[in-house]
Amino acid sequence: MGNVDLRSILTIALFASALRMATPIIFATMGGIFSSHTGIFNVGLEGMMLIGSFFAVYGSVQTGSAYGGLLYAIIACLVVSLLFAVLHLELKANPIIVGLALNIFAVGMTNYLLTALLEVYGVYKTDLIVGFNELEIPLINQIPILGKLISGHFPLVYFSFVSVYIVYLILYKTPFGFHLRAVGEKIDAAESIGVNTKKMKYYGLLVSGLFCAFGGTFLSLSYLTLFSEEMTAGRGWLALAAINFGRMRPVPSLMACLVFGFADALAVRLQQFGLPSQVVLMLPYIMTVIVLFISAIIAERRKKSSLKKGEEDVEFSPS
Amino acid sequence: MVLKKELMNKKQNNHAWREKLTNILAQFANYLLILIIALVIGALVMYLSGRDPISAYGALWEGAFGNGYRFADTLDRSTIMILAGIAGSIAFRTNIINLGLEGQLYIGAFTAAWVGFTFTNLPSIVHIPLCIIAGILGGALWTLPVLYLKLRWKIPELVPTLMLNYIAIRLTDYLIAFPFRDPTAPMAGSPLVAASARLPKLIKGSTINIGFIIAIVLIFISYWFIFKTKVGYEMRMVGLNQDFAAAAGLPVKKSIILAMLMSGGIIGLGGALMILGFFGRFLGGFSSGYGWDGFMIAIVAQNHPFAVFPAALFFGALANGALTMQSVTGVPQAVVAMVKGTLVLFVTVKIFLENIRKGLKKWVM
Amino acid sequence: MVEALSVKNITKTFPGVVANDNVSLSIEKGTIRAIVGENGAGKTTLMNIIYGLYHPDSGQIFIDRQEVTFLSPRDAIAKGIGMVHQHFKLVPSYTLAQNIALGVEPRKGILINETALNNNVQEIAQKYGFNINEKEVTANVSVGEQQRAEILKALYRGVEILVLDEPTAVLTDIETKELFVMLRNLVKQGITILFISHKLREVVEISDDISVMRAGKLVGTVKRSATNERQLAEMMVGRETIGGRIRKQSQKGQLVMDIKDLSVCDNRDLKAVNNVSLDLYCGEIVGGAGVDGNGQEEFVEALLGLRDISTGKIRIDGQEVQDLSTRKIRESGVAYIPSDRYRSGVAIDASIWENMVPGEYYVKPYSNGLSLVMPEIIQMSDNLIKKFNVSTPGIEIKTGNLSGGNIQRVIAARELGLEKAKVVIASQPTRGIDIAGTEAIRQMLVDYANRGAAVLVISADLDEILALSDRIVVFYEGLVIDAGYYDKDIRQRVGWLMTSGKDHGVEEGTHEQKAK
Repeated sequence: MGNVDLRSILTIALFASALRMATPIIFATMGGIFSSHTGIFNVGLEGMMLIGSFFAVYGSVQTGSAYGGLLYAIIACLVVSLLFAVLHLELKANPIIVGLALNIFAVGMTNYLLTALLEVYGVYKTDLIVGFNELEIPLINQIPILGKLISGHFPLVYFSFVSVYIVYLILYKTPFGFHLRAVGEKIDAAESIGVNTKKMKYYGLLVSGLFCAFGGTFLSLSYLTLFSEEMTAGRGWLALAAINFGRMRPVPSLMACLVFGFADALAVRLQQFGLPSQVVLMLPYIMTVIVLFISAIIAERRKKSSLKKGEEDVEFSPS
Repeated sequence: MVLKKELMNKKQNNHAWREKLTNILAQFANYLLILIIALVIGALVMYLSGRDPISAYGALWEGAFGNGYRFADTLDRSTIMILAGIAGSIAFRTNIINLGLEGQLYIGAFTAAWVGFTFTNLPSIVHIPLCIIAGILGGALWTLPVLYLKLRWKIPELVPTLMLNYIAIRLTDYLIAFPFRDPTAPMAGSPLVAASARLPKLIKGSTINIGFIIAIVLIFISYWFIFKTKVGYEMRMVGLNQDFAAAAGLPVKKSIILAMLMSGGIIGLGGALMILGFFGRFLGGFSSGYGWDGFMIAIVAQNHPFAVFPAALFFGALANGALTMQSVTGVPQAVVAMVKGTLVLFVTVKIFLENIRKGLKKWVM
Repeated sequence: MVEALSVKNITKTFPGVVANDNVSLSIEKGTIRAIVGENGAGKTTLMNIIYGLYHPDSGQIFIDRQEVTFLSPRDAIAKGIGMVHQHFKLVPSYTLAQNIALGVEPRKGILINETALNNNVQEIAQKYGFNINEKEVTANVSVGEQQRAEILKALYRGVEILVLDEPTAVLTDIETKELFVMLRNLVKQGITILFISHKLREVVEISDDISVMRAGKLVGTVKRSATNERQLAEMMVGRETIGGRIRKQSQKGQLVMDIKDLSVCDNRDLKAVNNVSLDLYCGEIVGGAGVDGNGQEEFVEALLGLRDISTGKIRIDGQEVQDLSTRKIRESGVAYIPSDRYRSGVAIDASIWENMVPGEYYVKPYSNGLSLVMPEIIQMSDNLIKKFNVSTPGIEIKTGNLSGGNIQRVIAARELGLEKAKVVIASQPTRGIDIAGTEAIRQMLVDYANRGAAVLVISADLDEILALSDRIVVFYEGLVIDAGYYDKDIRQRVGWLMTSGKDHGVEEGTHEQKAK
């Protein structure tokens, strides 16, 4: 075990990777927020992202471009989320069970196609895969310290932060957003003004699929350009914890995503110091439990301050 | 007057009997329908990727039931499925969303293995039960953090149980990579358990062992427990309506704790039986998602122990047959996961059942 | 007269029931029309048809003498009809302005124009003389202000016909008076008002004309000046039955439950029950009056051990029980009929016997060792459902298949059937139940008191309280104030206390009184 000096761990490079590793979680979180606000807690984010990752790679090889891969991923994820929506909204299946079954199905399907379509086992990596390239932002990249943090990321990293703002804008500043949120918070109010609540729920699920496509594409076409079995590694669940922590609001949820990204990055960094990978890789998952713990403490404290005239706790959880 | 009342009673009984029959037939037809859908979807995927579904399914069947030994192997594979299914059922019946079966399986398997390879001078009659108890305790104790978070901090168990899966797998990976590493193992694994800890086989030429008997016995025990005991009643009521249970004075906290511990303990038992009966040591990655099979089986069986058996058998057949299918026709085993997933996707669709029931009613009544 | 709205030969059937049977009526512009009738008379169905939520099987609707067809509430709103529902359809986390303008928000591009939103709402509010803080978050304002927002929601869309469904059900007497003033103002501005209610006293006070419905049919329409409560009640029910005082005489026994200085917090950690003391005596029925939301739920939950107590003591036969588990409290002799039967009263997916035995299954003869003794359980359940006239094909069926009244009978059977309770706590026991069931349950409570138990009936239905109680207390903002024993002036005393927490004629400051 090498010299564990805090300075050598907490480098700018670490924070830069934290941003990069938060990106897929941010996408999944934003997607999940959309459908949570219509009243559907989407536990299928994990599987949707995995499908996105697979088809991004497949599409990249087929079209010879990263954006082509993104397109394939978007189509695949929209199909899957449409399936989810039809099963739940038309055939009246239980959404939690459908979401979980979808994850299992996604693992099965991607593993199957890995062998049946791409003719490999475990990992698919070839030079045919075209990934995204990092973007250097002129001028900014010359700022000391901050420059290394902000410039030089993959385009989807920047887009993930932009998407947080877009989601905020749509949900809290547009009529559409108000109507959508009413469906999840007080469906009578939405119905009474003629909102088509079923349509809104469809939108919620399709948008989560769309975001998962971005998240999955980022996983397999950026830092790593490959597809490996179950490569989403639980990020879909981390997204749920982030949504819970942020009480379905984009910016507070983003905070949790950044913490998870940091935990991921730290785990990688600590391995370079000789700590055993198995132990260190527990970090993101332990972090998730800690984040849930903290939001529970905050919730308890929030109730105790009877002077605070805040909004009603709009919590969303399945149990 | 008396005759009229008797006739009325008879009519009512007749009506009730016909209604029950309709319901049972409808359920059966519904299951058949979604099974067919699942198999068709699997076939479709195979066909679209240039494989022959007929020969694939044929090989699957052959592999699972082709001869006596294969059938016995299928039963052996079903052992873990039964235990996982019951573990899931007990939790879900109490409205506990325990998605941590996989992690509890790993921990239980490891603790059982540990007792198996650490103590070498015990007679089988002592060693095996000791290992099994260790497995049960391991699985059960792994649910304690989730219970704490749920009961003290009101954190729903869905995400914590999932997180503990990843933590358990990495923890046990670490344990067999460093402190308990066995360099002679073919893949990352613990030392072999002592011969005294191995489960006696039932049929020569097959891997089936007394673990299967234990699983069957557990089916009956869990049926009795859930439906015939006081604690079972409490857990069922808490699962159906926790507010009602609390207002009626039922011990809600105790039921939640018991359900979670039992769930973890039973699949921990499953892990123990896998190590002692099949693998002989704790192997990294030994589980091909049995915890998730447990979840799926419980859902498909609607949390009823007697329904767990056929579902577990089906899953065991898929698992066993898939090996043959892959080696003979080259169709990857993963197609089986798709079939299972599809089954669960459709199993909570109520519309099929309603329409089937309506149709049958016209016919039966 | 200028006709604002009329319906001709409206018929609407649901599976098994004719909700509206050939109903025709005509409403003059600028008047207040009350539609009265019992639960299930068809008033709400008719209003939902007028509002576009339901489609009539046959019949016509005319607005300003033009025939109209509504496919959805949007069409009704477009034609100038707005409905204010009994249970508000406001999103709790939105501001009042955002709720009022929901669906017709002023825009700036694709975004909402916040300033225009707030200004428009204030404008409309001032036009109709409403007092409202449009920027406040809905969850934080009073029920009265929320109702004003609901009304403004309709007025904002330019409606000229306002339909109010049981608007005073959730208001105190003062808020009701304020509402009536607002309605009179609206009428002066040409708005036509339809007012559904079953509270005859209020209806007689505010309406110009009154239409009475019974069992889906329109019985008749009378001018307010030409009728009185008694006549309306007769039209509503078809027989003379008002002032049904069931409680004849009582015999007060010894003190069985004594509650001292009880303080309980609600889910937001605000004090819901404030230093309350109450004594319950054998053989006596105490009625707990008060509009929902004054601490009744938290009080009852604390008594049953379902909610933590901040301070105070609860004693049964002298033994302290406030720290005991719900089971131990029940074992001390407490029976409980909860206000929300679907939430706390039964498990609807469980069978009837499973809902019948939670109090007994763990003792002999219903259990033996670890197991349940099913024959005993079945027999007990059978006996109880017969005794309490529960209409069901058997005890194995899912409880959710029964009607509301029968489910309440199951609960009553479970709680009262074994005649073991010393204290019965019944919260809103006849809410949403049909007439026969209501009479049955009220009689059960009276019988139980006659047998020597102490009964506490908490109800938002003042008529129920007056029908049953020996002594009445009033829940008001966390306090429980004694209104004294039943006499000819009790109604007035209770009314004052429900409104202001003060007894008419008592000095300011002495607002806390112990129940004797």
